[in-house]
Amino acid sequence: MTIKIKLKQYTNGKILNKVSRKIHKWLMLFIGIQFVIWSVTGTYMVFFDIDYIHGDSLVVNHQDKINPHDIEYSLSTLFGEYPNAENIRLSTFLQQPVYRFKVNTQSGPVQFLLDARSGKPLSPITESKAIEAAHYYSTLGKVKSVVLITDNPPFELSPRVLPAWRINFDDFGAPSLYFSQSTGELVGKRHTFWRLFDWMFRFHVMDYEDGGDIGNWLLFMVTFFAILGCVLGLIMTGFLLIRPTKKLASFHKNKSRGVIK
Amino acid sequence: MKWIRKFHKWASIVVGIQFLLWLLSGIYFNLMDATKAKGRTYQARINYESPLVGDRLVEPSIVLLKNKPSVAIELIQILGEPFYKLTHEKALYPHFKNKYTLVDAYTAKRFLIDEQVAAEIANLSYNGPGEIFKFRLLDPTIPDFPKQQNPTWEIYFDDVIDTSVFIEANSGRIIGHSDAHKHLADIFFMLHFMDYGNTGSFNNIQNMFFAIAALWLTLSGFIWTIHLGLKGKYKIRH
Repeated sequence: MTIKIKLKQYTNGKILNKVSRKIHKWLMLFIGIQFVIWSVTGTYMVFFDIDYIHGDSLVVNHQDKINPHDIEYSLSTLFGEYPNAENIRLSTFLQQPVYRFKVNTQSGPVQFLLDARSGKPLSPITESKAIEAAHYYSTLGKVKSVVLITDNPPFELSPRVLPAWRINFDDFGAPSLYFSQSTGELVGKRHTFWRLFDWMFRFHVMDYEDGGDIGNWLLFMVTFFAILGCVLGLIMTGFLLIRPTKKLASFHKNKSRGVIK
Repeated sequence: MKWIRKFHKWASIVVGIQFLLWLLSGIYFNLMDATKAKGRTYQARINYESPLVGDRLVEPSIVLLKNKPSVAIELIQILGEPFYKLTHEKALYPHFKNKYTLVDAYTAKRFLIDEQVAAEIANLSYNGPGEIFKFRLLDPTIPDFPKQQNPTWEIYFDDVIDTSVFIEANSGRIIGHSDAHKHLADIFFMLHFMDYGNTGSFNNIQNMFFAIAALWLTLSGFIWTIHLGLKGKYKIRH
């Protein structure tokens, strides 16, 4: 009696296994490639340390202190000349004390960089200053090329920081540093591993338009069927692990092979 | 092909359950409301409109002289009042370890973000129906923001979604809000990133191990599928 019940469960199971196999096989014909893409891109993202991807190791974070005696151009003079100055900060640029601030104009915000000793504007930053800054604020070797970007920034640079100097280095991972032309600040640090990461992420979330949108329909549809395919795969895995007892298997072998087919 | 099938089966035993968790958390990310998942249900934008009285400001050079050496001094507003934020040690990002001093820009006196100031900042950045009922000062690591490395005030609101507002204690910066929606999303992130230690990162050993297993699973499955196709096993029977 018990054997009969077990056999019934077993044959039901066998059908479930067979159906799972069939649907799994067909589903994977269509979405299997995305499984490969998910695991390749996921593995890349998991293995490369995110701080390294962000390019933290490309730059030197100098702790140059401001010498208060150098500040000959006072804040009140600054307010006298630029009454609408906002977001004012005093720090150093290439070891010189500088003021940085923003003035909102009708055509949008304008950034300023002033020498804190004389009050003289230091921006727009020249190409040679940008190169000097690139060497000072990084560990990187030879400069390969320098480009001034005023519009249409590459995908790795936010349009908000334009205009900016792009300094390309002849170094491991083809690194590029970006310096704001109006403030001299380091506004971007990219290398091959970041660029690859960005591509990997887009492929991972199936966003083939502008990157970063994980709420897209394509991803939903594929993931939905992927869950189905994965559950069916797990059912088969389950059957791999929960084998019928030997006795039952031999019973089945002798008696009911033809019945199932 | 025998080995490919073996690989596939063994890999499925190792990574099958985790693969399902990746997919389930993945579809959750796809469907979730990003604002809620970031804990921003009741987050308001703060815009201080109060004008600065330029001639009352203490000169930054004087403030610099009276304090520890600084790499930067910045004129900021807290609760509509001007302050100087001196940076003694500057990290690459605000959430990394930074050393600051806050100074009243009118009096040059040291200013501390105590619980009252933190609560007022939190109130400004909150637009929900709740009231503050509790606060506490946290040292990193802060579970809701595991990457934050500076001491932080957590201000609790008594709304139904348990909103907390996190204020950086040494700068007054609003780190973010957290609530029940974010906590739910965080569980899915933990599962997706296998980040059971809540480090806020996906670069961990268990994730690497299972990623490799997943590669085996999908690549062997891929080869198997191609093989089935070449053998003509994909036929539609009528």
